[in-house]
Amino acid sequence: MTTETITLESTRFGTLEIPYEAVVEFPNGLIGLGGRRYALLARSEDATFVWLHSLEDPDLALPLTNPWRFFTTYEVELADDEAERIGVDDSDDTAVYVTVRAGEVLEDFSANLRAPILIAQGAGHQVINQAPDAPVRAPLFAENAPEVAA
Amino acid sequence: MLIITRRPGEKVMLGDDIVIEVIEVSGSSVRIGIAAPRSIPVYREELWRAVKDENEAAAKAKADLPQDLPVKN
Repeated sequence: MTTETITLESTRFGTLEIPYEAVVEFPNGLIGLGGRRYALLARSEDATFVWLHSLEDPDLALPLTNPWRFFTTYEVELADDEAERIGVDDSDDTAVYVTVRAGEVLEDFSANLRAPILIAQGAGHQVINQAPDAPVRAPLFAENAPEVAA
Repeated sequence: MLIITRRPGEKVMLGDDIVIEVIEVSGSSVRIGIAAPRSIPVYREELWRAVKDENEAAAKAKADLPQDLPVKN
């Protein structure tokens, strides 16, 4: 065995052995949801949606996506005190995700551009984006998007 | 809920590290100052609630999300 793994219990995905590198510690939890230890799960490197899955609660998992996949001009601006709090400068090794609200049909899918999740060096923070035009419920797909295949 | 009357310039301590100060009262608005350790995030309640609602809605997603999706222009 070369990689250290950790067991993740999931009501959605069953019991998974995941590499320790997938673990993300959230010192302040997610806003209003709490939780301190999560793991990032992806079906493939190119997956549209990845899951931020709690390591403490088998039922708690949120789909995330890379915001630039859908919103090419998206920007994240942090207040100075928030940037200081999380200790992130605008370095390239910070991954940015947004939470996804899933719907029955693609037109109902939206992303929260106001409160992105920043992950760097195994630590995650959900922050308030100060940039204008960052709604909490931005539709992911155009009006005429095809329906979700069953 | 604890309710305390304070005048501008007066403060309230939450524990030893968090200070809430009434800065100014003007009509129906109150300006308050908050000094808290850097590790404690401070939010306006309505924004905190909006984000909490989105997080809770996101957490209701089922395991079978669609893959290979069209991307919005």
